[in-house]
Parts: sequence; C-alpha cells; structure tokens
Amino acid sequence: MMSRRGLVVGGGVAALAAGGVAGGELELQQSRDRDPPALPESDAHGHLLWRNWAGIQTAYPAARAAPSSEDELASVLKSAVPPVRVVGAGHSFTALIPTPGTMVTLDAMQGVTAHDAAKLQATVRTGSRLGALGPDLAGIGQEMLTLPDINKQSLGGALGTGTHGTGQTLTAIHGAVQSFRIVTAAGDVIEASRGKNPDIFDAARVGLGAFGVITEVTLQNRALTRMRKRVYAVSTQDALDQWPALKAQHRNAEIYILPFTGMAAIITGDASQDPVVPRGPDTDTDLVMNLKALRDWCAYFPALRRVLGHRAIMAVPPSEAVDDGWKLLSNERPVRFIEMEYHLPEETQARAALEVLTAVETNRPDVFFPFELRSIAPDDAWLSPFYQRASGSIAVHAYYMNDYQFLFDIVEPILRRHGGRPHWGKLNSLRARDFASLYPRWKDAMALRQSLDPQGKFLNAYLRGVFFDA
Amino acid sequence: MPRLRILFAVAALAGLAACGKKAPQEDAAKVAARAASMMPGDVRLAGLYRSSCQNCHAHRDSGAPPVGYHYAWDPRWQQGLPTLLAHTIGGFQGMPAGGQCFSCRPDDYRALIRFMAGQPADAS
Repeated sequence: MMSRRGLVVGGGVAALAAGGVAGGELELQQSRDRDPPALPESDAHGHLLWRNWAGIQTAYPAARAAPSSEDELASVLKSAVPPVRVVGAGHSFTALIPTPGTMVTLDAMQGVTAHDAAKLQATVRTGSRLGALGPDLAGIGQEMLTLPDINKQSLGGALGTGTHGTGQTLTAIHGAVQSFRIVTAAGDVIEASRGKNPDIFDAARVGLGAFGVITEVTLQNRALTRMRKRVYAVSTQDALDQWPALKAQHRNAEIYILPFTGMAAIITGDASQDPVVPRGPDTDTDLVMNLKALRDWCAYFPALRRVLGHRAIMAVPPSEAVDDGWKLLSNERPVRFIEMEYHLPEETQARAALEVLTAVETNRPDVFFPFELRSIAPDDAWLSPFYQRASGSIAVHAYYMNDYQFLFDIVEPILRRHGGRPHWGKLNSLRARDFASLYPRWKDAMALRQSLDPQGKFLNAYLRGVFFDA
Repeated sequence: MPRLRILFAVAALAGLAACGKKAPQEDAAKVAARAASMMPGDVRLAGLYRSSCQNCHAHRDSGAPPVGYHYAWDPRWQQGLPTLLAHTIGGFQGMPAGGQCFSCRPDDYRALIRFMAGQPADAS
C-alpha cells in the first residue's frame, strides 16, 4: 500500500511528543498482543501437531499422506482412516482441515501437465502453489485471469474455498475452470466439465474438499499481459463515493479502508504497453505496523490517533508499478492475521462497509488492520458465494496476536443483515440451515455430495456442522 | 524534565518504527538472488523445500530469513535447533506452523532448518 516513512515524516512523531503521550498507553496495548498459545509438538500418541497459517485451527492427525500420483491417491483414499482432509497451504481460517484421521497433502502433485497455446488453456495439478504457478504459466506465455491478494495457497485449496481476486468483470478463480478430474472416496476417478458429468462439475468446483479430491484442472488463462498497478490514498468517504466508477473504469480495483484514520488506499490495475517499472520493496507491512504503533501510542487519545493517521497517510505519494500481471496482483503478507470476509450483493457493499467501520471504530479501538473491499463477477458453481450474483466483498482482519471475537459479535451481524455469503475459508458462524437459505442449489449439492461420499469419509466435525447442523 | 523524558521515549519508539529491523549487511537483491538459487542436495528434501519453505524463504518481502543468509540466520541458530524446531512446528511470529510443509517429519524439519541456516547436515 504505502510506506511507513510517510507516517513518520507526516508529523506523527512530533505531534505525539507535543501531546505528551506517556509510556503507559503503549504498555497497555502491547500487553494485549499475545502469541497464540504454544501447543505440544505431538500428542500422547506421537502424532505431530498441525496448525493453520493464522494459528487458530489445530489438529493431531493420526496419519498423513503425500501421494505423488492419482493412483496412489486413490489407494490412500480407499484405506484411509476418516475423516480424510486434504490440506493445501493451511491458509483457511475456518476449521476445514482439522482431522483426527488422515491428512493428505498434494504437495507431490504440482505443476503444469499440458497446455493449449491457441486456446490459452493449461492443465494444472492442484497441489501447485499459486506463487509457483505464476512463473510456470509465464513459461508457456500464459497467466491466470485473476489472482488473490496472497499467492501462497495451493490451487486446490483456492478453488475449493471460492478464493477470488478483484475486478467487476472477473470471476473468482474457479470461474476459469474448464474441466477437472476428481478422485472419490471409493477411489474412482471422474472427469467433469460442462459437457461431461455437468452436475458434478457444478457442485464440486467449489467443493470444500467434501465431494472428493480434485487432482487436476484445466484453466482458461490469458496471454501474459503487462499491467499498470497504481496505489494512492484518499479519504474513506471519497473512496466509497468513487467505488462504482473505479470498478467500471479499471480491470482490477480494490479499496483498503484504514480504520481510525478517515483514510483509504485505492489500488487499480489496467493493461499497459509502458516499459516495465518493477514493484519496489514491500511497504504494506510497514504501513500496517505503523497503524499498530499509532494504536499503541494513542490508546487514550482516539482523536489524536485520527489526526495523526490522517495527516501521515495524506502525505504518502501515489506509487506505480508496470509489469506482468501475475507479478503485481498478489502480495507477500508476512504479518499474520485472522480474517472474516463476506460477499454481499454489489449494491449493498459500500453501505455495509461504512456500518462496519463505524461499529469497529466505536467499539474496538484495538483494531488497526485495514478492511479490504473487492469486486467479483457472478458464476454458476452451486456452492460459489458468487453464484448468480455480482458481489462486493468486505474483509475485516484482526492482528494474529489480538482478540478476534469482535468479528463474530460486531462485524458478522452487519454483513449478514446485508445479505452476505461468507467466504468458505474465512471465519463465520453459519450452519447448514443458514447456507440452505443463501444457496439456491444447496439441496442439489448436498444430494450429489451424499452420492459421491455416502459414508462421509471427507467430513470432519466442522463440515458436519456446515452440511447437517451437527 | 519529565517532558524531556517523554520526548526521548517517543523518539526512541519512532526510531524503532522507522527502522523495524537491522540494516542488512548485504544488498537485498544479492541476498534474494542467492536464496533463489539454493536447493537442498537430497532429492526428497529438495521436493519438500520446493513446495513449502522456498515459497517464503527465497522471496524478498516475505519477512522470512533468506536461505543461506548468515546475518539473518546466525542469531536464530544460536537459539538452538530444538527451539527452531519448536517454532517451526508450532508457528512463531511471522512463521506459520509447520512451515506449510504438512508431510514433513521432525527430521525433515531439522534438515531443512540446517540447510536454510547454512549449517552442515547432521552427520548422525
């Protein structure tokens, strides 16, 4: 986003000194920063700890498997101790992965296996990490149509949770899937596309790893395209006022609302023929940690926090980079966080975002992470949060060392009231009856899942709640 | 006088904020290029490394100590391999639990830590 230099140069330090901020407030806030609790490296049975990226989901799986072929995977699935859960990079915040049974990784099933240069399509094994897929696809002159903010996820994990980027004309990643191969609980391999097993194609494309294990997908890509990425700061109100025009004018557009500052960062992306201007070193991390410092320093002075934050961010100059799209769309995010994201009807997004901002600023001065607003085109996967609906997403984050209950108590009720559907990989409290009312093809999807996995081999405790209110 | 003390305290904090981490001893581009070029000699370990550790430890801006960069690794190595292993399995600060290698066994983690820290492989 922007550099921390701006925050310091912008007058923060001098004003803090003049304000006579004492060390007590700093200690108060920092005392609330706690690492997730340390857990035993293995349980009483010697099973190794698994923990997700954010550190809030844990398990001690009895068995782990890393098949290197579809045949090997099929063999594993036939005899595995259930529940069987396939883990990607562990970036989901919901309890999709924890299992006392078998954890399967597709890390040994990565890479591009075939491509069609004329159609700009590539067949990719789903253990591939998105970050590694960028250069692999670039090697055949292609890039994915869209990419999420972080590119550490596995392709399979990203597809299974409806992971998305931003752009009013761009579907989530699964919208680019032309066909896939899925291995069922019984070890059968099924090919699915719009023309072959279309129900399975529609139900399992966003499948939470509950229909089987998708091993390979053919993606519709585009030719390597140079883009210009632009980042600049405006007031939050201006950003929200401009949002409809920004979405219409730019291929990629998103807003980061910077709470307690009155400011927002706008990020746009468009095709460009200009010479390459590589992205510079990451400055987003500095900005986030400066927002944290501002929170720590101004615990008892909210007005001062707003004035300093506003002034500092106003002083940050716009930045630009020009390069291949896959190099600019995703980011490194070294500061861990905990996230809730809902996808709302497009027309309610800005109003809901303001409500969330007001609620958080009124009730939770410990929050400092930016909120992210993005735009996603509709698609036709039955369990896609974007099913037949142009969507605007709102993501709210908590620092990984801080309490995140406010996401459920304060944020989620607002997002639900505005008709939101939660991101499958991000925190939410919804159960089967809630999802049934949000997804028009829910019953069809459940029936198909039951037929593919009658024993519920892929269902862990969390998914039983999602599917059965168990 | 108390006012002055506050000023110094804030200035010190500002210094921390402005620097964040110690100045690198080598050019960041060189460090990143070296990290990107390194790979464990053992084929199996290389496979594990490619699908997990490399995604952060060979990428600028990830916040992870770059592979083979002694300036970043030596202070960590001084904490002892058991501590680094515990941080790897359980997660620590920016380091996600398991290092995103979910088929790694403890011995794999030990070997990968040694490789990234530029330490000789365990002879035992």
